[in-house]
Amino acid sequence: MFLKDGVKRRTVLGMAMAAGLAGGMPAAQAADDIVLGGSIPLTGVFAFAGEGIHAGIQDYVEIVNNAGGIEGRMIKYVPEDTAYKVDASVAAFNKITSQYDTNFYYGDSTGFAKTISPELDRKGTILMAGASFASELNDPEKHRYQFMAGPDYTEMINILLEYIADENPGAKVAYVHSDTEFGRDPIETSQKRAEELGLEVVETIVTKPGSVDVSTEVLKLRRAQPDYTIFHGYVLAPIPEFINQAKQMGMETKFMGTFWSMDNSMVMKMGEAGDGFMGVMPYAYYYDDSDDAPMLEKIREMRPEYQSTAYMQGFLTAMLMTESAKRTLEAGKELNGDNLKAALNSIEDFDTGGIIGVPISIPGNSIPVGRIYRADMSQEKMVPASDWIRLE
Amino acid sequence: MTDWLLLIEVSLAGIGSGGLYAITGLAFVLIYKATKVVNLAIGEILMLGAYVFFGFSAGLALPFWLAALGTVVVAGLLGAGIERTMIRPMLGESPIAVFMLTIGLGSILTGTVELIWGANPLRLPEYLPNQPLFLGDAYVSSKVATAFAIASVVVLIFLALFRFWRGGVALRATASDQAAAYSMGINVPKVFSLSWIIACVTAGVAGMLVGAIGGISPTMGVFGLSVLVVVIVGGLDSVLGALVAGLFIGLLEALAGAYLGGEYKTLATFVLLVVVLMVRPYGLFGTHEIERL
Repeated sequence: MFLKDGVKRRTVLGMAMAAGLAGGMPAAQAADDIVLGGSIPLTGVFAFAGEGIHAGIQDYVEIVNNAGGIEGRMIKYVPEDTAYKVDASVAAFNKITSQYDTNFYYGDSTGFAKTISPELDRKGTILMAGASFASELNDPEKHRYQFMAGPDYTEMINILLEYIADENPGAKVAYVHSDTEFGRDPIETSQKRAEELGLEVVETIVTKPGSVDVSTEVLKLRRAQPDYTIFHGYVLAPIPEFINQAKQMGMETKFMGTFWSMDNSMVMKMGEAGDGFMGVMPYAYYYDDSDDAPMLEKIREMRPEYQSTAYMQGFLTAMLMTESAKRTLEAGKELNGDNLKAALNSIEDFDTGGIIGVPISIPGNSIPVGRIYRADMSQEKMVPASDWIRLE
Repeated sequence: MTDWLLLIEVSLAGIGSGGLYAITGLAFVLIYKATKVVNLAIGEILMLGAYVFFGFSAGLALPFWLAALGTVVVAGLLGAGIERTMIRPMLGESPIAVFMLTIGLGSILTGTVELIWGANPLRLPEYLPNQPLFLGDAYVSSKVATAFAIASVVVLIFLALFRFWRGGVALRATASDQAAAYSMGINVPKVFSLSWIIACVTAGVAGMLVGAIGGISPTMGVFGLSVLVVVIVGGLDSVLGALVAGLFIGLLEALAGAYLGGEYKTLATFVLLVVVLMVRPYGLFGTHEIERL
């Protein structure tokens, strides 16, 4: 009786799919299919993102296949639910790669990406991307067969810092991050960048994972009086309560976030307190019409209801994977890890159809581009607050 | 120079959040005291309470008091149901088996919530006051202060029930000596049931408060783990222990967070746990059972 229709339908669909997958769908692979396997978190704590990622990959694969595939070869997307657990993710990887000649793989976490990296090196046949933007993975020598469809976490914060330095030179900045690997990732490295840009880092506040009350942390923040406060390592809680209490105290700091706390549905849950919340987003929002974006129009046509930023991430990842397959096949080369990665790195000034508003290049493992968006609660939308910022 | 205002503000914040630990700890202690079951699902019951409140207040758009009342009723029924169908058949089985059962129960409750409401974090409708509150110059989050006040009222009702109500007296009697309680004509299974009902209602109320401050998600059951530390420090079978340890750990976490950094909060709590266990293995206020051969 308390069911929210949308949620229920999605959940049931997700479960049905997970059940179908677990039951073992017919493992039909045409001889020349290009296989994209995926450890997708359709259940568990990361399900909100997994559902979007899954839909995004599915849609892009459908677009390519409907247009005749790549050089006549169809793409076969083989997902498996992992509940966002590394062991389940590794099991899914082993299962999929043993059943199919896998060319691409989507991993669901930093933990998985690090765990499977030696195996990718050993196989040398797969190019992998995933949900993690960990700075550590942005190392083409250590993680040869991986990439991320956006800036890494350090680059995200650096984009925010560039924006701040431009808007308010010499501003005081504070970081608030969770005491997790995800939360700690960009803090030290980006502090250096802040200093280079002439910004002053006045406070770094660490919160305990799962902590409910953040009063103490807000009190510390008030004493530091920053002009900007950057959150990292959260999806939603405790950001709303943090902003709420800070506003109660009369603080005028501007609050900012990074990718995973920036989805429209999450920010809108902050309520009034979230008005003006800013953050870095590597992709255009579903409803964004500020740039000419044929691909966004296509998405809106395929799915008339709002799609999350995780959807865009999955969609773009699939786009970049297919682009590298296309380039490899056009050059008459074999589809293996080295050739696919070389093809990916040859992408220069590539038009994503508006998913990212500027042409992109992928010289290494990441795409250091993003834009600052700001929450406008009256429209219930995230609106652009800057132009696209490209890190040099 | 010592910043006294900060110290006072931090202490107030700590005591405020300690109130939430105390009330949840109480739910834990009550079940242990009456039935000797270590209920590890208390965090998940708290979570379910928050979601049921969400269902009534956001889903069905009921007014706050009706949604709260509905949550209390559902939590009570849940407690009765769990006790009757899962715990009572386990009477006489090894404590480890019952302990494992409560872990399984927690997992089932999380799964149920994910099925009905999905895995995404959500926000409860704002029902706690949101105006800034100043005690003198010291800022106190009005939400935390209100939650603390509600928790205090619940605790007082609790203590009054224990002291004056027949059922409460029967509960205390059963806790102190089951066999004697039986022989005095107390319906012990009914007392067991009662303890689960009251504990689940308390956890449900705690869920509404915790959710109003920190938001709700299927993973908010981890709050129960922090509370486990509270009740071990206070003494598993001591109501007073849960109250004192709850407030104290809230205060300790706040001070550690403010003066050492957020990464030291857990460390401070567990250091306290280890020290208390070394000095008083049965907790600060727990019963020291002497086994005579």
